[in-house]
Amino acid sequence: MKNRRISNIVILIVFLLVSEPGSAWALQSHGAPEGNYVHQMAHLLFTGALLYLYWHTRHTPVLTSRGWKYLQIFCILFASWNVLAFAGHEAFGHLTPDDFIEKNGLKEYIAGPITTTKVVYFITKMDHLLYVPALLALVVSLKTFYNDALQEEEK
Amino acid sequence: MNALPLLPAIIIDFFGSAAAILLSFLALRYSWALVKLKPSHIIWGFLFYFCIAMAVFSLSRGVGHIVRIILLFSDHSDLWKKLSPLSGGFNTMLMISAAAVTIYYHKGLEAYRLIRSEAEKLADANARLSTSALQLQQLNTHLEEMVDERTRNLSESEKKFRNFFENSKDIIYFCNEHGDITSINSSGKHLLGFDAALETVNFYDLFNNDGDRRKYINELNKNGFISDLEMECRGRDGSTRHILLTANTLYDQDGKMIGCEGIGKDMTRLKTITEQLINHEKMASVGQMAAGVAHEINTPLGIILGYTQLMMDDFEIDSENYKNLQIVERQTKACRKIVADLLKFSRQSESVKASIDLNQIIQEVLAVTEHTLNIQQIEVIRRFDPELPPVIGDAEKLHQIFINLFNNSQHAMADGGRLTVITDKTPAHVLVSVIDNGCGIADKIRSRIFDPFFTTKEVGKGTGLGLSVTYGIIQEHGGSISVESPVEDGQTGKTIQGAAFHIRLPVHDNTPNVNEEDR
Repeated sequence: MKNRRISNIVILIVFLLVSEPGSAWALQSHGAPEGNYVHQMAHLLFTGALLYLYWHTRHTPVLTSRGWKYLQIFCILFASWNVLAFAGHEAFGHLTPDDFIEKNGLKEYIAGPITTTKVVYFITKMDHLLYVPALLALVVSLKTFYNDALQEEEK
Repeated sequence: MNALPLLPAIIIDFFGSAAAILLSFLALRYSWALVKLKPSHIIWGFLFYFCIAMAVFSLSRGVGHIVRIILLFSDHSDLWKKLSPLSGGFNTMLMISAAAVTIYYHKGLEAYRLIRSEAEKLADANARLSTSALQLQQLNTHLEEMVDERTRNLSESEKKFRNFFENSKDIIYFCNEHGDITSINSSGKHLLGFDAALETVNFYDLFNNDGDRRKYINELNKNGFISDLEMECRGRDGSTRHILLTANTLYDQDGKMIGCEGIGKDMTRLKTITEQLINHEKMASVGQMAAGVAHEINTPLGIILGYTQLMMDDFEIDSENYKNLQIVERQTKACRKIVADLLKFSRQSESVKASIDLNQIIQEVLAVTEHTLNIQQIEVIRRFDPELPPVIGDAEKLHQIFINLFNNSQHAMADGGRLTVITDKTPAHVLVSVIDNGCGIADKIRSRIFDPFFTTKEVGKGTGLGLSVTYGIIQEHGGSISVESPVEDGQTGKTIQGAAFHIRLPVHDNTPNVNEEDR
């Protein structure tokens, strides 16, 4: 009964769109910053998700093995990386092409005077120093899980 | 500082991206191994999906960064400008996916925990069920063992009591409330002459004496038991049995009488032996008395007879006095014969003993009496043992025994019949049976037939000394005599009317101390 009602509504909408095409806004155009906003929001969402995972694994009594400790480290590091990346994107948004010397080359520099924004950008540019350890923690965590599970299985 | 060089950042970016790709796929590999190890483990499943998202994200981002560096440094910045939004969008999408997987992880975990909890409950229930089933099985097994043991004990008990019931030489019986016999053992059936298949027999009907029957019923109803009741009953074969009876009343749960159970001991043989002992003592005392009387009477009778015969010489033969004296002489002689019989009974008469063949003695007696017996339609049947051993005895007295017995049989078979004389032997005794199918001997007089002067004949037709004399002679010869009436036919096993006298005399054996028992 419910499905039939939904079908009727869909048919009605399609009929209205087809019969009055001039009045319908089928597409809405978006400006260039929207992609950047979505990307930043994704970083925040990912950060929140990782912090939630950290909090949950920390407060769940059964998740106390060594593997979970490594996973919690991963959560913290990767959440930090997200924050760092978020900050990096924000900082980059405030920089102009004039703030770079020999852009797109091995001798690329951030031109002076060195501001906080430029320092933040410089630091965030080396985000892999967080990213790689975070993934390393994830690998170690999963390896620990696997070994524990294997031992348990062998019992 | 006027400028910050970005080369270290570029180097870190390049190699970091490669390392990130490598590590993310390494993580994916372990998560995949975990899922393969425990496919149903939802946390490993979550980690696997998370690692997929992370690997794809790292791949996308790492490749993007590497490609960017390569394109920019190879002066293809225009191409990168075209790819950059795609790479960024792809990265954004993968980050959201990874975040979504992470956010929904707790739901999955909750579901897993719920399922796990239910599974644990189920497992617990299963374990309890298994335990219960095991306990039930053990109980069942134990129960079977208990039932087996009880059944075995019951069977042994039943067998024990069944053997006791069946093998007892006493009568064991069960009756319902009406006195009908519901169960009786083999001895009871044999003793009372029942058929093998129990027929409906009322126990009350077995009583010969109404007084005993009333006492039995009253005691059972009143006291619930009766002890040592001497019951006289008649079996199906007509023989009288003396039974010492003890019985208990059976009650149901409401205390209502539903029957009785009892044990009866056959006292017939004991009673017979007792009667014989009493009779023996009586005969002994009577014999002593008779001997004294005979001695006292014999002398006057001799004098009377002597004087009578002297006086007869004084009168003419045809004279009345002579005839009177003849009567006196005859009656005196009759008296002397009675006295002689009394002396024989009391074993006071002189005896000449020798080795004697009883078959010959019987033949001699029959030679004299058979003619008379045949006149009275009495058929004489001889069943002599041709190898009958001799006995030591007085031939004349033994003649007297059989004359008396044949006379008795003749008297019992006034309308004819069959007289069977059987001789047989055991290692220690010679057996003679004189059997007739006459009127038989009533139970009440059976114990008195050997008494002196006891007779069932009319007055003047018998002195009542025949069987007494027979008894005395047999006693004198160390033997015994018993009477049976009615008679059980040794050949057919049937009970026939009549009487049988069984004589047992010791065998004359030259070898002393014959210890072999009777057959």
